[in-house]
Amino acid sequence: MKYGMNISPATVWAALLGLLLSLPVMAQEDALKDLPGYVDFGELQSVYGEPKVMINLGGSILKFVGGMTKDDPETAALLDKLKGVRINVYSIDGQPDAALQKVSQVKSLLQSGSWEPIVQVNEAGEQAQIFIKLSGDVMEGLTVMAVDEEEAVFINIIGQLDPAQLGKVMENFDIDLDANLGLN
Amino acid sequence: MNKNPESPAHSSANHPASDQASNPAGNPNWEEQINALLDGELDNEQAEQLKTAAGQDRALAQAIVDAYQLQQALEAIPLQRAPASLRRKLASIPAEQGKKSHPAFWPKSWVSSWPVSRSGWFRPAWITALAAIPLAVIVLNLWQAAPVEQTAPATAGVTEPTAAELQEAQRELAVVFAYLGKIGRKTSLEIGQTVNSEMQQNINENMIRTLREQMEFNKERNA
Repeated sequence: MKYGMNISPATVWAALLGLLLSLPVMAQEDALKDLPGYVDFGELQSVYGEPKVMINLGGSILKFVGGMTKDDPETAALLDKLKGVRINVYSIDGQPDAALQKVSQVKSLLQSGSWEPIVQVNEAGEQAQIFIKLSGDVMEGLTVMAVDEEEAVFINIIGQLDPAQLGKVMENFDIDLDANLGLN
Repeated sequence: MNKNPESPAHSSANHPASDQASNPAGNPNWEEQINALLDGELDNEQAEQLKTAAGQDRALAQAIVDAYQLQQALEAIPLQRAPASLRRKLASIPAEQGKKSHPAFWPKSWVSSWPVSRSGWFRPAWITALAAIPLAVIVLNLWQAAPVEQTAPATAGVTEPTAAELQEAQRELAVVFAYLGKIGRKTSLEIGQTVNSEMQQNINENMIRTLREQMEFNKERNA
């Protein structure tokens, strides 16, 4: 087979794998789309390429993970109520414009969808937005978007969240991203 | 590894006779093919055949992903979440060096013809890092989405994740929380600087407190 000048076999191979493998993720995400705490972040792949971190955990696996922590009832209780945890992290290499534009778009979407802003940091080339979705006294979703010169992070936690529980559980899960990965 | 004898490519008569990865009957041995792919021992034609077959055979595609993840696990390199630091290191590898020591995932013949000089995007290391990042994560979702015969025993139509899958999910959850904490620390710092207050506590606490206050406020408002 012959390829165009700019398309190597490896590129074709990577594209194929990417296409094949993205289908189940999309299916997983489809299952969450109807939930009130779900947020559609759209896509930034056309600008920044594949996300460097893409995690999409559904409610069932979260329950199983919660079941693993029998000696930690708070974690188990928190995870039991979660229906989905999603994160997309893009490397933006000093080009935050598209990511900032996306944050702005999603922010408008959230505001029109009765999400409440909790934290908003707007600085040159850097933004952080935290929104929560409330239903009565119950938090049904948490959305965090942050863009700096290096990366754009989009986090969506779906399901009932108790802030106090979340704090404690975060401590239990606390890891140093770089140190944990052993790359620095 | 999964093999699908019904795959059109599986019965292809065009498979090269000299293919070391073929079995004596002339049909491709996918397991060997996949191993050869991961070892960078497939030439363009062989890789193309495998790619075509994978496009038509989900089980084969799954097997490739499984094998790739296994290779990564064996090498104990958590590429599935390659952070910016790794990408920077990979991106800084000179093109010439990239040609000399290409990642094992890519066949040498591909690398030798890689248009490295045209754009950093096409650097093998960069591609490998990018391709690797979502693989392990997506594999988990594959396992969640459908029963996988070789890893997860199905009981009454419900597939329970394996211990390894659960550990992976736990790790992924930890990454999400780590990012939450990282952003929280940053926002706390920014907010603290802006309002000149004494917000010097751990941001996790700050963010959580803010969330709780918002909920309390909301409760009062509703009341």
